[in-house]
Amino acid sequence: MRLSKNIILFFLLSLCSAVNAQTKEYTLESVPNVRLQNKMRYVSNPDGILSQEACDSIDNMLWKLEKKTSIEVAVVAIHSIGNNDVFQFTHDLLNKWGVGKKGKDNGLMILFVEDQRKLRFESGYGLEGDLPDAICKRIQSRKMVPFFRNDNWDGGMVSGVQAICARLDGSMTNDEVGNNGDGSNEILFLFFAAGGFIFLVALIGGFASWRATRCPNCKMHKMMRTDSHLLSYSHGIKREEVVYTCQNCGHKIVREVESSDDNYRGGGRGGLGGGIFMGGLGGGLGSGGGGFDGGSFGGGMSGGGGAGSDF
Amino acid sequence: MKKSVIITIAVVVLLILLGAGSYNSMVDKQEGVTKAWSNVENQYQRRMDLIPNLVNTVKGYAKHEESTLEGVVAARSKATQITVDPDKLTPEKLQAYQKAQGEISSALGKLLAITENYPNLKANENFLELQAQLEGTENRISVERGRFNELAKEYNAYIRKFPRNIFAGMFGFEKKPYFEAEAGAEKAPKVQF
Repeated sequence: MRLSKNIILFFLLSLCSAVNAQTKEYTLESVPNVRLQNKMRYVSNPDGILSQEACDSIDNMLWKLEKKTSIEVAVVAIHSIGNNDVFQFTHDLLNKWGVGKKGKDNGLMILFVEDQRKLRFESGYGLEGDLPDAICKRIQSRKMVPFFRNDNWDGGMVSGVQAICARLDGSMTNDEVGNNGDGSNEILFLFFAAGGFIFLVALIGGFASWRATRCPNCKMHKMMRTDSHLLSYSHGIKREEVVYTCQNCGHKIVREVESSDDNYRGGGRGGLGGGIFMGGLGGGLGSGGGGFDGGSFGGGMSGGGGAGSDF
Repeated sequence: MKKSVIITIAVVVLLILLGAGSYNSMVDKQEGVTKAWSNVENQYQRRMDLIPNLVNTVKGYAKHEESTLEGVVAARSKATQITVDPDKLTPEKLQAYQKAQGEISSALGKLLAITENYPNLKANENFLELQAQLEGTENRISVERGRFNELAKEYNAYIRKFPRNIFAGMFGFEKKPYFEAEAGAEKAPKVQF
């Protein structure tokens, strides 16, 4: 009887620890950035702390705010970050994700950590004027903490985001044409890079062929191709024996030349180069952000501004 | 004869190009460090600007804490006298600066500790917001100090590597000092809410 009681106790304990193990401790890497899938989403809520309705209403408010002012606000509600410092975590996460437009640094990150019962705002450099620390603190203590004290996560977060939007609305204007500003820049850069690369290849090729015209006998660049015959041809690669004759002194040399046939369509070499190039192009477009369904934050930075509260 | 002249010219041109390239990047990196330093100074200045307001607010509630309040004011006025020219940033100067700012930190720490005894003060929203600003400033200071150290480290490593160390010596680029974490004195005051 006693033994069976112990067994039941053991079973319950192991069940408890299993449940504990399931509540994940997030690191900077493991917090999901929902923005990457859908640029109209701002709330990272992997533990389901906030309800779907609350997330939708926050997303809606923040989307309107961004369209109007270009300010990016990220909300992260997670169960635990272990024993990490909330300030440091929020600061690092904002800079890692790059919340806020690049150059404007107008990002704000709101981190909610349930097990530490802590709330933290981290404002980017560009928001410090419009959303000073004192105002962050005031919004937290008036609009959020009273809800959070009663474990009303939805109510506190929605009312807090509302207050932030009311504060920031009209503080800046969105001067980007459409949402593709960054993307087209990147395409332009890609064109220049590709152009530069082709130019470089041509230069090297030109130099090599100039070198090849040098006569070893009289040192003049007067060698010309006068005769050639095919040695072998396989998989689109031609091996030829080419005879060069110097136009100056009549010296003759024979070189073996390997080249790939442009008209060969058997796959392999030619196709590979194209594949890499196309891959590069696709990657460049993807990271451009905006314009497509997914997007990233704009690359803003923060310098430790904001405020924190316990609840 | 002709060949050797050409080779000499080529070597000289190469050296000039190499020297000019590393000189320019050294200037860029030095400017980066200077900018990082002014960011650090700005944040310390911001903290000093908060002090009069904070002292006045506390004074209204805690009249009997004259000595603590005076300690903060004295540390502040002492620190305002120490300014550092970023172009002449020596380890001694940085240490003196850090020490003066460290005294403000510990004086502020004491001030915030006594406010614990005044529940009316702790309930004052103005005071809470000042405290939030102070905490934000301390955070900013630590971020900017970290960034300064990072850039100074990058710059130091850059100027001390071969062959740039030759040009660095020629043009007078000197190693920049770092902020060092001091035990106790430099710790940001613990702000309790």
